[in-house]
Amino acid sequence: MDLLRSEPMQLVQLIIPVEAAYRTISYLGDLGLFQFKDLNAEKSPFQRTYATQIKRCGEMARKLRFFKEQMTKAGLSPSTRSVARADFNLDDLEVQLAEFEAELTEIKANNEKLQRAYSELVEYKLVLQKAGEFFYSAQNTAVAWQREVEAHHIGEGSIDSPLLLEQEILTDPSKQVKLGFVSGLVPREKSMAFERILFRATRGNVFLKQALVEDCVIDPVLGEKIEKNVFVIFFSGERVKNKILKICDAFGANRYPFMDDLGKQYQMITEVSRRLLELKTTVDAGLLHWSNLLQTIGHQFEQWNHLVKKEKSIYHTLNMLSIDVTKKCLVAEGWCPVFATNQIQNALKQATFDSNSQLGAIFQVLHTKESPPTYFRTNKFTLPFQEIVDAYGVAKYQEVNPGVYVIITFPFLFAVMFGDWGHGICLLLATLYFIVKEKKFSSQKLGDIMEMTFGGRYVIMMMALFSIYTGLIYNEFFSVPFELFGPSAYECPDPSCRGASIVGLIRVRPTYPFGVDPKWHGSRSELPFLNSLKMKMSILLGVAQMNLGIILGYFNATFFGNNLNIWYQFVPQMIFLNSLFGYLSLLIIVKWCMGSQADLYHVMIYMFLSPTDDLGENQLFVGQKMLQLVLLLLALVSIPWMLFPKPFLLKKQHQERHQGRSYTLLHSIDDSPELERHHDSLGHVEFEFSEVFVHQLIHTIEFVLGAVSNTASYLRLWALSLAHSELSSVFYEKVLLLAWGFNNVVILTIGIIVFIFATVGVLLVMETLSAFLHALRLHWVEFQNKFYEGDGYKFYPFSFALLTDEDA
Amino acid sequence: MGFFVTTLIFIMVGIIASLMVRICCNRGPSANLLHSTLVITATACCWVMWAIVYLAQMNPLIVPILNEVE
Repeated sequence: MDLLRSEPMQLVQLIIPVEAAYRTISYLGDLGLFQFKDLNAEKSPFQRTYATQIKRCGEMARKLRFFKEQMTKAGLSPSTRSVARADFNLDDLEVQLAEFEAELTEIKANNEKLQRAYSELVEYKLVLQKAGEFFYSAQNTAVAWQREVEAHHIGEGSIDSPLLLEQEILTDPSKQVKLGFVSGLVPREKSMAFERILFRATRGNVFLKQALVEDCVIDPVLGEKIEKNVFVIFFSGERVKNKILKICDAFGANRYPFMDDLGKQYQMITEVSRRLLELKTTVDAGLLHWSNLLQTIGHQFEQWNHLVKKEKSIYHTLNMLSIDVTKKCLVAEGWCPVFATNQIQNALKQATFDSNSQLGAIFQVLHTKESPPTYFRTNKFTLPFQEIVDAYGVAKYQEVNPGVYVIITFPFLFAVMFGDWGHGICLLLATLYFIVKEKKFSSQKLGDIMEMTFGGRYVIMMMALFSIYTGLIYNEFFSVPFELFGPSAYECPDPSCRGASIVGLIRVRPTYPFGVDPKWHGSRSELPFLNSLKMKMSILLGVAQMNLGIILGYFNATFFGNNLNIWYQFVPQMIFLNSLFGYLSLLIIVKWCMGSQADLYHVMIYMFLSPTDDLGENQLFVGQKMLQLVLLLLALVSIPWMLFPKPFLLKKQHQERHQGRSYTLLHSIDDSPELERHHDSLGHVEFEFSEVFVHQLIHTIEFVLGAVSNTASYLRLWALSLAHSELSSVFYEKVLLLAWGFNNVVILTIGIIVFIFATVGVLLVMETLSAFLHALRLHWVEFQNKFYEGDGYKFYPFSFALLTDEDA
Repeated sequence: MGFFVTTLIFIMVGIIASLMVRICCNRGPSANLLHSTLVITATACCWVMWAIVYLAQMNPLIVPILNEVE
């Protein structure tokens, strides 16, 4: 059977001529069925043969990352993979990438310089404009003031204060102190602090005039938009000038020269405007060139990326091969499935043919005691189920794979806990959407949660289908029962239905043919009946699944030829489990068939406490007491049967095997020393009797106590199913029916919306996750601990397809 | 319909489903065996669930007692 056990694997040695090595690895990577073993594990990465090639690939990968960064800055995204060119050369690609990188860096640097010059000019223009306004207005007021003074002077020409007047006139032309000024831009947040520090540093001997700039200006140094103010500082003296310059630098205020002369100002402004226009066109041209270049890169980016990754992986793999310099060939060792032998041999032949090598490659199967990796050939339907099983532990090589049964029992147990065909239909619709849009979604990159939901779409589909079935059996459609399969078995005792709430309905027809009778829903005795039914169902399902687990253990023992396990593990385990819990299941079924009033709790407990007592009214069939005694004795006997014989027999086996083992084989001289190292692994195993005995003791106790606890653990099937149906019932009755009762459209709409949100949020999402988790636990612990060892390792072949999956 | 008739119906459905799967996707003996196993397991699980619910209602110890009509 396909998935039952791992594909048979073999350890293979390939001897490849050096010229064909690269091509061979490339073809094997396309095939994806060979897992290479690292033969150079002791060497550091720098000592290996192909370290330089890997460095080159690393460089190219770095350049590609740089391109990607630039592309995201430009807002471009790399286009999906274009048609792959068959013939491609690593050296050519390297040269091309180096060229592109050089060009891009140069353009980037130039652009930055131009941008900076542009921002500076913009700032300069602002300074010219605003400062010009200051001076203009100042001059106007000065002229006006002077005219006033003159007028005043002429008007008031009095002898009262001739000295003063003379002083004024005298001081005017000669002792004129030459004021210097500094103009520039300061960021608006710092302007207050700027003013204050200037004032303090110069003891109030400067005059600062500021004007706001309306729009944000791009700061040339920082490259981002900041609000700024234009300032002009008037001062006198050399030391003050130095202080002011230092303060300006500290505040990051850019200074620009400014001319007094009005005529020169106009000239400057026009020149600056002209230069601004020129620069703008240059900057735009530069940006255009940059984005064009990036677009060209973008077309081929994905392809290059893929190629570089492929190259790197090929060289990593080549590094794992050991080089045999004398014979001018490389030796590779690895695992491959037996069915792939022909394909691999063909690939080798093709590679040696394509690289025109004189020698052919050699494919040689090695024999080893090492445990091979586990490989299951899954398709897109069975893959998620296998991953669920592997999440707990990868199957040991060739042991029974629980995945075969998990495909059906996991959705089934989920459905037992979820049981509502309305909710099942909702789940099915949701997952069908994913399945129909499969192709589109698998090429996209989805978020984490969507990725998991999409990956599990077939699991959810199975869960939904089984939920619809169990929903029909529990007769719950959003907690509403329907009479779909024929008439109900119960009727009112009298036509007016008055006795129905005291005595209850009476049974008039045969049993409702499919599922739970619809009359139970809403009745007072619904919970006692359903609880009893679901608890007993959980026990029956649990005992069945555990029995299946033990039987799978039997299959394992037969396959590996382990007779000990059959007689001293499988048989006592079956006897113990079935004489106690199998008997309980039998009692349940008999009680149902006969409709007796026997109390099964009482029967089971007193089977242990006082087995020789008379059963009285709890007797279900003739000879029950005798049967119970026999079963109890069998169970008690099976415990030492599980515990004692196996360690002693193992010891005897070990002694027989290692009796004549004083001499070891001489290895032939031809074999290379490396092979010897690998195949000598297991060799002489020590046998510690106490260890084996304790191991067996633990195993026995685990099974015996586990039989009780695992059976009880299956009661979670009842618990979750009850929770689901109660929640669903509450949402229906207390939200929808309540809203319906008001006979008001608005309240009804609100009620429907609340009902939908509650159903989707609590029942479809939370309950699904909860039931998923519990069904998973039941499989991983209660089912698998009966037979599963799960200490293997997964087959991870060298494959280019897996490479791209890894990154995407 | 009685217990045995419906059980027979389940068996028939199981056999027909196996045959249909064998006809529709015939992919070699080991794959066919896997598919048959899956179909039979599914049928068995569904039958077990139905049988349990049916048996529990065949000879009931309690009957539905309706709530007080308000």
